[in-house]
This record gives sequence, structure tokens and C-alpha cells, in this order.
Amino acid sequence: MRRNKPDSVSPSPKKPTALSLVELETQLRPIFLAALAGDAAAYRLFLDMIGTRLRGYLRGMLARAGRSEPSEAEDVLQETLLALHLSRHTYDPASPVTAWAHAIARYKLVDHLRRSGRHAANLPIDEEAFRLAAPDSAASDARLDLERAMQALPERTRALIDGVKIQGTSVAEAANAAGMTETAAKVAIHRGLQAMAKFLSKHGTRPA
Amino acid sequence: MQTNDLISLMTASHQPVDTGWLRRATGIAALAALAVTIGLVLVTLGARRDLASAWMTLPVIAKALFGAGVAVIALVLFQRSLRPGLKPARLLPMVVIPLLLVAAWALLTLGQAPVAQWSALVFGRYWRACLIAVPLYALCPLVVLLLLARRGAPTNGRLTGACAGLASAGLAAVAYSLHCPDDTAPFLATWYTLAIAIVTSLGALIFPRLIRW
Repeated sequence: MRRNKPDSVSPSPKKPTALSLVELETQLRPIFLAALAGDAAAYRLFLDMIGTRLRGYLRGMLARAGRSEPSEAEDVLQETLLALHLSRHTYDPASPVTAWAHAIARYKLVDHLRRSGRHAANLPIDEEAFRLAAPDSAASDARLDLERAMQALPERTRALIDGVKIQGTSVAEAANAAGMTETAAKVAIHRGLQAMAKFLSKHGTRPA
Repeated sequence: MQTNDLISLMTASHQPVDTGWLRRATGIAALAALAVTIGLVLVTLGARRDLASAWMTLPVIAKALFGAGVAVIALVLFQRSLRPGLKPARLLPMVVIPLLLVAAWALLTLGQAPVAQWSALVFGRYWRACLIAVPLYALCPLVVLLLLARRGAPTNGRLTGACAGLASAGLAAVAYSLHCPDDTAPFLATWYTLAIAIVTSLGALIFPRLIRW
């Protein structure tokens, strides 16, 4: 079956517009496996690619539920990305990574709709909507400001997070500036991300 | 915060990930819970008096194997239910295999026995004890699996709960088989199965609220 379309696979991961779900899986799997082995650049690429795909999926699904505010989709996307990140260890390397990501996105979407008082009964359970979702790389602002999630964190951690967020600053540099080891810095950022996930699942219901 | 900033943070704190942890943790947790449950049975009820001579007989082995079979199948499904996108519900009918085997054995036994003995074969001496003890002892593994489920990403809380309940009841059945003095197949097929159904329903009922993430 594969030999029928050897030249249709797009070689460039930067153009996800052209990718079918099968092609996305073919590209994404090796990238994610490299990321799981510790390759940070591969992880970044994975998050960018899956984030783009998920944004299109979530916008489409929320529009179907009668909600076309882009900031709301961005909220659910951020929540989904956090969940992907904090659940990396639940990925089974023998299974499709797109199915894993889709199941998490769907869970977060249904949870979001349930908490905001919409029943999710008419959301398709199958992969169809995800398979057909057009990628969307145009990020919009989220309604919920995740920085608020970090208010309870130590000052040093917040400074560190601000440092890393700014493009071009590596963890090593930011850790150095904050007077921590790189490992300690990673643990601190991890705590910050956990706090954000908790914050989102608590406050995600609140209308804008 | 921009989504792009969030991705920067996630990349910055990224470290190698151990995808085998859940599987190993499930195995270790189940063995530990089984050991504790056996200890509880031995301390609170004690072993059956004739255990030294009876442990090699078919009914005792069958009870333990039955429980272990249900537990192993349920644990595999439980572990898979903590990984999004795997759809382990398709494999749920496999759990019926040990139940059907025991039911068939029970029917065969009843078929060969005179009708007058049926009641004795089914009810044995301590059916109430079995029905109460197995679900109670199953609470120990159930709590352990609940804590473990919170470390995973269950997208179907009811399925995870049912699998955890099945596995816990299976483990509790293994432990209780060291005490249980009733050795007939119809007893096993009736009361052990009923006890397993009770714990499975309990798991399916309470887990969804407790393992949201």
C-alpha cells in the first residue's frame, strides 16, 4: 500500500498544511521518540508541530460547540500542551503518537466543555475530526494568564521562568543567573508547569 | 502567557522520559498489594487449618489460579487504560475467559451430582464470609491502584476503575483462598464471581471522580 505514494510525503516539517494524519504520524513519531530519549530540540519541534495541529482541531471542535472565540481555543490548547508535557511517560512507544495526543486533547476539551456547562454529547468520539483538522499556526492570546498560576511559587523560580521564556536564553544561562544548577532549574520549571496545569484545571471554567 | 512561551518552558525543563515506568510500577504495586493482603488474611482470619495438606489439591489451586488469572488480565488492561489513545476496552472481554472456565467447571460438577446435593455444593459452609471478606480485602489493592492511576493519564475513568476493581478482587481472591474452607467448583463460580463483580462495580463507581487530571 505504501509504495503507491512514495513521493507524496512532504519532506519539510515546517509545512504541516500539506500533511495527512498518516504523514504527520510518519514524521512525528521519530521526532517524539528522539525527544523522549532526551533531545530538547526534537521536543521543541514536536510541540510546535503537534500544537499547530491541535490548535486547528480545537478551534474546529469549539466552533462546532458554538464557541468561536479564538482565545478560548488557545486556553484549551495550552491546557492540552501542559497535559501532554506532564503525561509524556504515559506514551506507549509502540503506539501512534498522534492517537496519544488526540486522546489527551479530546479529554481536555470534553473536560473544558463540561466545566463550562456545555454537554459534550455531540462531540465526535472517533478520529474523524482530528484526521480532518486543518493545522493552524496562528496563535492568539489566551484568556487565562498562566503567570497568575505562578504567584504561589518562590520568587527565584518565577525569575528563572521569566528568564527562560525570553527567546535566546538557555536553561543553563538562566540557571546561572538565578544561582542554581541546571538540574535544579529544570526541576523548578517543572514545578512551575505543574502549578500552571493545576491552575488551569481550577480556573478553566470561569467565563471571560 | 503566549503558547510559544509555554512551549519554550516545556522544552527547557525537558528531560529523558521513562515510558516503561507505568508498566513496572503496576507490576510492583500489584505484588506488594498481594503480599500485604495475604498478610492481612493470615493475621485476621488465619490460614485454613488443613492448609499444609490441602494447598496441593485441585480446588485450592483452582481458587488461587482463578483469582490470579483475573488479576493478571485486569492489570494489563488497567495499565493500558492509563495511556491515552490505546483503547483497551476492546480487550475487556478477555476477563470473561477465567469466569467462563470456572462456570463451565461448576456446571459440569452440578451435572454429575444428585440434585439433592446442589444446594450444599453451591452454598458450601461460609458463602457469606466469602462475599464479605473478598471485597473487604480487595480494598487494600484498590487503594494502591487508585494512587497509581493518579500517576497516569486515564481518559476513561470508569474503565480504569472497573479494571482496578477486577484486579483488586482477583488479588484478594488469591489471598482469601488461603483461608477459604469451601472447596467446590459451584461455590467458587458463584461467590467468588459475585465478590469480583461487587468490587468491579465499586471501582467503576468511585474512580471517575477521584482520578480526574
